[in-house]
This record gives sequence, C-alpha cells and structure tokens, in this order.
Amino acid sequence: MAEPQTPARGDFPTIIGPDAAFKGELKFEKGVRLLGRLEGLVESPGQLEIAEGATLEGDVKAGNIRVDGSVKGNLRASGKIQLSASAKLEGDLTTARLEVAEGAVFIGKCVVGSDAAAKGGPAPRMDDAAKHAPQPVKK
Amino acid sequence: MEPDSTRPVLCTHCNGENLVGKRAMSVFCRHCRKRLILEDYRINTYHSVRLFATCGDIYVDRTGQVISPIRVRNLTVQGKVKGDVEARGRVEVTGTGELRGDITAPLIRVEEGGRIEGFCRIGALPDNWLRAAFPVK
Repeated sequence: MAEPQTPARGDFPTIIGPDAAFKGELKFEKGVRLLGRLEGLVESPGQLEIAEGATLEGDVKAGNIRVDGSVKGNLRASGKIQLSASAKLEGDLTTARLEVAEGAVFIGKCVVGSDAAAKGGPAPRMDDAAKHAPQPVKK
Repeated sequence: MEPDSTRPVLCTHCNGENLVGKRAMSVFCRHCRKRLILEDYRINTYHSVRLFATCGDIYVDRTGQVISPIRVRNLTVQGKVKGDVEARGRVEVTGTGELRGDITAPLIRVEEGGRIEGFCRIGALPDNWLRAAFPVK
C-alpha cells in the first residue's frame, strides 16, 4: 500500500490560525495545519497536523495525522498517526502505524495494523493460540 | 545492606515500594506479603498462565506466544501476546509482533507491521489508574 505523502513542516496549503474556530465538516486534498479550534468532521487523503495549543473535537479520517495539541474524538489514518510529547488524545484510534513520544497521553481503543487501516474495521484476529495449548489427558 | 547494592521496585500486586538487592531474583513484598519475581524473561515458546507478573522485563520472541495478563516493567513483543498488559515502563511491538488486549503504560511504540488491538491508557497517568485497572484482590 502506497503511504500518503507527508508534506514538509511548512508545506501546508491550508492553515487554520490560532484565533480561528471552525465548526462543521472539513474536506481537503493535501494538508491542513490546525493552530486554533476545530469542531466537527475532518476527511482527507492528505495530512492533518494539530499543532501545540490547538484543539480538535470530532472524528478525523485522513492519510497521516500528527497530534501536538489535544484531540477529543476518533482518529483513523491510512498511513501513520504521530502523537508528540505534548499530545493529548481521548478517543479511538485506527491506523497502519503508530508513533507515540514520551509524555503523550492517549486514552481510548486502539487498532494498529496495515489491514486495520485498509479495511476500516478492527484488525484481523490473530491465530487462535488456544488450539496449540496442551490438551488434558483423557482417562 | 549497602545502598549501592539495592534498587527500588514496585510490587506487581499492591504497587507498594520495596527495596531489594540488585542480585535478588525474588522477594516477598513488605506491604502485601506476596511473592515478587524480579527476573527478566525471554519467551520463545507457548506460555499460558493466570497472571504473568515480574518486576523485570519480558521479551517475547518471534516464536513466542503468551496468553495471559501481564504486569511488567518493559515489554517487547516480537511474537504474539493475548492478554491485558500493565507496564511501568515501555511497551514495544516490533514489525512481527501482535498484541491483543488492553494496555496501560507510560510509553508505547509500534513498529511498521506490528499490530495492536485493545483499549489503551498511555502516558504519565496517576497511580490510581493502575489500581483501577488491576485491583488488588
């Protein structure tokens, strides 16, 4: 699976400023850097960056997501989710790759795996290990 | 006992602090009187117990499979783990690793290809979170 391209740090075509508050449904192609407050649904094949001090309340479906601020809602990424040291995430997370820095806080259900992100559902169950368990001797 | 030859460990049952010898392999908790394992483990076969608890580290090899709740300092998963994990340090799932169960840890790292599924409490959480996750019976 081709991983969505990660834009460089200052290469975001759209920036929601620190004094802006957005409420509603947001769709974009390349990348958005959130410095203010966003409440609602976000959908994109590109990158979403939630900067330090920014807050997001709602569900996100994107290519790559980087969290430096605080998020209350579910995140789903086809590529990678990065939680930096200042990140606070309260909600479920589904992604192919996960990077959590020391100091980040995350509380919620987590599904990580390439299949999980592609299918959009929970990761496939691992082989039922119980069948390999030693069987009791029948008398 | 000289201070240099001791190290502090937290009880895997009651979270009480104990000062133990650096070479000790197990002690009895001075708070709850239960036995504490201090060794590191490397698992490369099937391992299923009611509770897999150690104050050391657990390393699950590629061929290893652990079916059990785990209380540990650091956990590295290259194989498969099924069970709730409470770590006082770091949980690391490598590219071949698979972890199914709830995770409580200050730090987690999942390499590309690694899989995890479960409820996570990651970060410097208050001690009562750990107590709530694993109440002393």
